[in-house]
Amino acid sequence: MSKETAAGAPQALEQRVLVSGRTIGLITAGLILFGGIAIVSDTFLSGYTMFVLSRQVAFFTIIALAQAVCLVVGGMNLSVGAIGSISTVMLGLALANAGLSGWIAVPLAMICGAAAGLANGLLITKLRINSFIVTLSMMFILMGLRSGISGGQPYAVPKSFGYVGQQGILGIPYVFVIMLAVLAALSYMYRNTVLGRRMLATGGNADAARLSGINNDNMIICANVLSGLLAALAAVLWASELGSAAPETGDSWLIVTFAVAIIGGTGLTGGVISPYGVMMGGIIYTLIRHGLIELKANPYYMNVYIGILILLTIAIDRIREIYGEGKSK
Amino acid sequence: MLELRGISKSFPGVKALEDVSVTFDAGEIHALVGENGAGKSTLMKIITGIYRPDSGQVIHDGTPLNFGSYRESLEAGIDIVHQEIQVVPESTVAEGIMIDKLITVPHTGIIRWDEVNKAALTYMRMVELDIPPNTLIKSLSPAQKRLTQIARALAADARVILLDEPTSALTEHEAENLFRILRDLRARGVTLVFVSHKFEEVFALCDKATVLRDGRVAGTRKIADIDSDELIAMMIGREFVETHLGRVNVNRERVMLKADRLTRRGKIHDASFELHEGEILGFYGLVGAGRTELARVIIGEEHTDSGALSVNGAPARIGNIGDSLYKYSIGYVTENRKEEGLFLEDSVRSNISVAIWPRLRDRLTRRIDQREEDEVCRETVRSMSISTPGLNQTVENLSGGNQQKISVGKWLAADCDILIIDEPTIGVDVGAKDQIHHLIRALAEDKRKAVILISSDMPEIIKLANRILVFREGRIVGEVDDVDNPDKGYREISLAIGEFLK
Repeated sequence: MSKETAAGAPQALEQRVLVSGRTIGLITAGLILFGGIAIVSDTFLSGYTMFVLSRQVAFFTIIALAQAVCLVVGGMNLSVGAIGSISTVMLGLALANAGLSGWIAVPLAMICGAAAGLANGLLITKLRINSFIVTLSMMFILMGLRSGISGGQPYAVPKSFGYVGQQGILGIPYVFVIMLAVLAALSYMYRNTVLGRRMLATGGNADAARLSGINNDNMIICANVLSGLLAALAAVLWASELGSAAPETGDSWLIVTFAVAIIGGTGLTGGVISPYGVMMGGIIYTLIRHGLIELKANPYYMNVYIGILILLTIAIDRIREIYGEGKSK
Repeated sequence: MLELRGISKSFPGVKALEDVSVTFDAGEIHALVGENGAGKSTLMKIITGIYRPDSGQVIHDGTPLNFGSYRESLEAGIDIVHQEIQVVPESTVAEGIMIDKLITVPHTGIIRWDEVNKAALTYMRMVELDIPPNTLIKSLSPAQKRLTQIARALAADARVILLDEPTSALTEHEAENLFRILRDLRARGVTLVFVSHKFEEVFALCDKATVLRDGRVAGTRKIADIDSDELIAMMIGREFVETHLGRVNVNRERVMLKADRLTRRGKIHDASFELHEGEILGFYGLVGAGRTELARVIIGEEHTDSGALSVNGAPARIGNIGDSLYKYSIGYVTENRKEEGLFLEDSVRSNISVAIWPRLRDRLTRRIDQREEDEVCRETVRSMSISTPGLNQTVENLSGGNQQKISVGKWLAADCDILIIDEPTIGVDVGAKDQIHHLIRALAEDKRKAVILISSDMPEIIKLANRILVFREGRIVGEVDDVDNPDKGYREISLAIGEFLK
């Protein structure tokens, strides 16, 4: 009987996509950072700062998710930034050159991102090339295309296009609301849908997944399309916030996506993701960046702290794994 | 001589070893047996210095050893041949053997490969490894890799060699060859500690056996003085003899699966057979004889070159495992549960329900019904008596027997009409083995499934099957029917099988 109750206990949700002890650790770290900055700075707790920072959080979280969905199936996407850039160019062409409305231009940009992801997915699965090589090549190809097409010049976008990126509701930026919707959708997908759980299975053990009737190729293709869509979404939101479609949009994304995804607890070998954890990663990343500015630290050293932070999160995980419970045999 | 005196070792919450004292004499092959979790691996790790005992001593030729590391135990002349073959795939055989004592130009660290290869050859001859020393290890067969490991131990001047399930992944012939070499080593005065689940091997090879049960020594016996029933009784602490589960009630009218001259070049030739409702059809043969290969062709993991397959009387075209599972209701329990059967880092729940997610999906919302999922999983856990604290438990933390039950349970949950079960009890202890046997039996008997049982374990296949197909070199070379006839003895059936293998 006791066994029955244990199995049916209220925590009967997928443990790998849930708020785990690790996420609680992340929340604690976030709160400490938040409290620390609030003490040091007198402008930090203003509505304006919160607005700007939550917009950054949303942006970092979405691009990190674009990386995380590929990590989940046991791959990676080095071309996230390049997909962001080419989608931005697509958006700019549609809005500025073709004079289309945002209602058409945005879907076009998203399709462009999804198509790039599809190309990645097909190359990885049909030609059986490692995702590192495929997406590395794709990064160069797309970067070259965006430079060639745009000539490096930003595209002007209509003023009304900035609405979503710059405005908000009740002091919360629309961008942040969109991120919350994306998080909810992804959490639902990984926990409650066949597609999501199969993607986790593929990343967890591809051989076992195949022998359980799962078509791994389809899972990898889906993950890459999803990654492309998320990268394009981030690019569109960025253009809206900036009020212009800048071709160099994705140039700095790559390292950030790995950093935030890893801090957020995404397993590098696949099979493990916590979308809300990734958001916590985004929050911590944003707070550290902002905290250093508040402390008037030399911004050139900023990446040192991010590097240490990544090592620290992974080290804590390893220590827990080595000395933690259940590994005593 | 290696002597263990009063070794105890605890891990948080578990007492792994308690007051273990054993003496392994020089020039003896000493078996170490016990169920999974009895403490064999922990003991091996203490002898080789990977773990430090909480109390007790390891004494080698009169000198107490205070092992801080694996390195130190190696230097004391103790080596281990692991169950998982641990060799660097990209290095040469000579390098693998001489890894600890590569011959260099004095004071430079530059390796003299000609000398290394020559020295390696000496040890390769000892283990009858007849290949060029510069062969890459990755191109070797499992048996050759095993011999490489033993040669390495010899090169390191090991006086004590621990062998952990050394015959896993070896064919019978290769195993016999290995035994000859081990006997040879025994004659040279090497102390050999042999860990195995296979009793035939223990009885064929060893001089003594020490049985571990729940972390304690249940006894040490001369092999000449006991039989396998007695050994099993010592292991599980009760009498335990069952060679036959009785008649299988087969419905010969209903052919569930029919293979007609299935061929896959280089692997199987002209395989034809029929499988009936309620039947347990045994596939017997050596590793590599074509049994697993045929199973993989049936489920669409590999394509056929010619021949036809029909399921339930209708021709079947199975392109992949998704087809086999969802269109034809054929499940396959793999022989490599860790590599291919389980999501080790995932929950018991996901491991059981992975093949039925589409069925649990709400047609409108596309949502997997979690209540129903938990219900199916709990039912599987119950009916297979899987011992787990809950459905959220990570499978990695369960014992080998429970893992295997989950690997089978996945297909039980999927409710397949036809189930192919490949080596279901490899590396599983006696108690769990018996439970799995009764479960397979119940699948055919009570649930009226059609079961193909692939096994190299003759007692197992004779205990369960009602008909046995014998495989050799990719062909079905014979059929033994009426295996479940209680009037037929084990000996009669095993001789009939052996006849086809000649």
